[in-house]
Amino acid sequence: MIEPSRELRDACAIVGTGHSRLGRVPGVSSLDLLVEAMRNAIADSGINVKDIDGIVCRGPDDIYSHHQQIGARLGINVKFSTSLDNGGASQILAVAIASMAIKAGMASTVICGYGRDSWSRTHSSEEARVKNQTTPDDQLPKEFAPEYGYFGAVAAHAFGATRHMHLYGTTRDQFGEIAVACREHALRNPDAQMKKPLSIAQYHEAPQIVSPFGLYDCSLRSDGAGAVIVTSSERARDLRQPPVLIKGFGSFNNLRGWFNDDNMVVTAAKKSGEIAYAMAGVGPDDVDTAQIYDCFTYMVLTQLEDYGFCKKGEGGDFVASGALRMGGRLPTNTSGGQLSEAHVEGMLQVVEGARQMRHTYPADRQVKDAEIALVSGHGGNQVCHSTLILGRA
Amino acid sequence: MSDRARKPLPKPAPESVPYWEATKRHQLELPKCNACGKFWFPPSKSCPNCLAADFDFKPVSGRGKVYSFVTFHRVYHPAFAGEVPYVVAIVELEEGPRLLSNIIGIKPDAVKCEMPVKVVFDDVAENVSVPKFTPA
Repeated sequence: MIEPSRELRDACAIVGTGHSRLGRVPGVSSLDLLVEAMRNAIADSGINVKDIDGIVCRGPDDIYSHHQQIGARLGINVKFSTSLDNGGASQILAVAIASMAIKAGMASTVICGYGRDSWSRTHSSEEARVKNQTTPDDQLPKEFAPEYGYFGAVAAHAFGATRHMHLYGTTRDQFGEIAVACREHALRNPDAQMKKPLSIAQYHEAPQIVSPFGLYDCSLRSDGAGAVIVTSSERARDLRQPPVLIKGFGSFNNLRGWFNDDNMVVTAAKKSGEIAYAMAGVGPDDVDTAQIYDCFTYMVLTQLEDYGFCKKGEGGDFVASGALRMGGRLPTNTSGGQLSEAHVEGMLQVVEGARQMRHTYPADRQVKDAEIALVSGHGGNQVCHSTLILGRA
Repeated sequence: MSDRARKPLPKPAPESVPYWEATKRHQLELPKCNACGKFWFPPSKSCPNCLAADFDFKPVSGRGKVYSFVTFHRVYHPAFAGEVPYVVAIVELEEGPRLLSNIIGIKPDAVKCEMPVKVVFDDVAENVSVPKFTPA
């Protein structure tokens, strides 16, 4: 087991959060959506944009030198900037790298964020809608996939769901509870993309996409962006918002592949979580709310097991107990998640985790007395993972 | 026909040319390390188990079992409109490596994890044959 440095525990804090318009935002590029979220985060923090000296960010995979384009739009030169390449695990990694850069003296105030235009890209024409693809053609597999009619991320994750159902008797009713819980949370979030209630009956009646996944097992196509500002905990004390401590983070990447070993059933969340828990000095019993990367319902269930909230194979029973709802053992994806708020590759979950730690939400959205939040990021070719543990100062 | 009306053909990377040459002869051949003796997939120019670069493409039995599978209901590519629902599986070969393929010759709802399967070859175009699997 890797022993992470304890020096980073509580060393930095999130002092500003922001999100852009979410859902269908035609006519706005992913870069401008991210700048919209960053402007909101900057305003929230009370920091002058000229005092930001670091940028770690990401956007759609076809944008080269992403951080350079964001810096140009913010109108700043910085000490430290880069853009990341770990898919949905990148957004937490951005916060981790920001903390490390600050601790190393390479920057003092770093803005992190992710923006995308996936709804606009997949609805620009009938062909685009059918193709439902956000990855540029030249980045897709050329062999061992398309000749078999194997396309898209739904199927990759559905393989994991099938295997989990085979090994542990997990059911679609249990996946459905995850979709229904996220929708219930989204209805309390005025900015969420989904506005109507979802019942378990509607979940089962919806069309199959790539079974075992139906429509409501799948996250949304969204335009949108999120951003946070990271600085030292010392500096955070003098700023406008209640600081949110970065207690720990971790990452793990199962680069041998999603199809290899047992990686689709025991995900990289397990080892990523162990590192983050060790850095933070907490365990799963200390976590009051979780924001789990929910590209598909199954991914929530298996990560809850990997993070130790229940044993491997017991995720179905755990979610069926109502644990994910407000007032449950572990209110999860409390803004609606990627299944019902908007799919912004985990960035909105970093934002939501931080906001829960501020205790400034109205009572119906606030996880009561929450002191510790766990946020997860998952992506790339399903093998990259990152974990962030936040705490109330 | 436009490109979108035709099912995509594999476009081999340089390292997988021998694999596709073998399937053309209805042979399933995978890279096998001459240092550690293990097969691997997908093809590459060194062994991911021991990093040796001394290897040959060798025949495998073509027998294995279904590690996991999914059923496509949605049409992602117009050339598959007449195929749905169809099964895409991860097949674990007796020799160890896992391959992505289709399970054919069985109704989708009868496919199970751990089901024994064997390779069959689908001649999808002149000089292109794609390995698929059917219940053993």
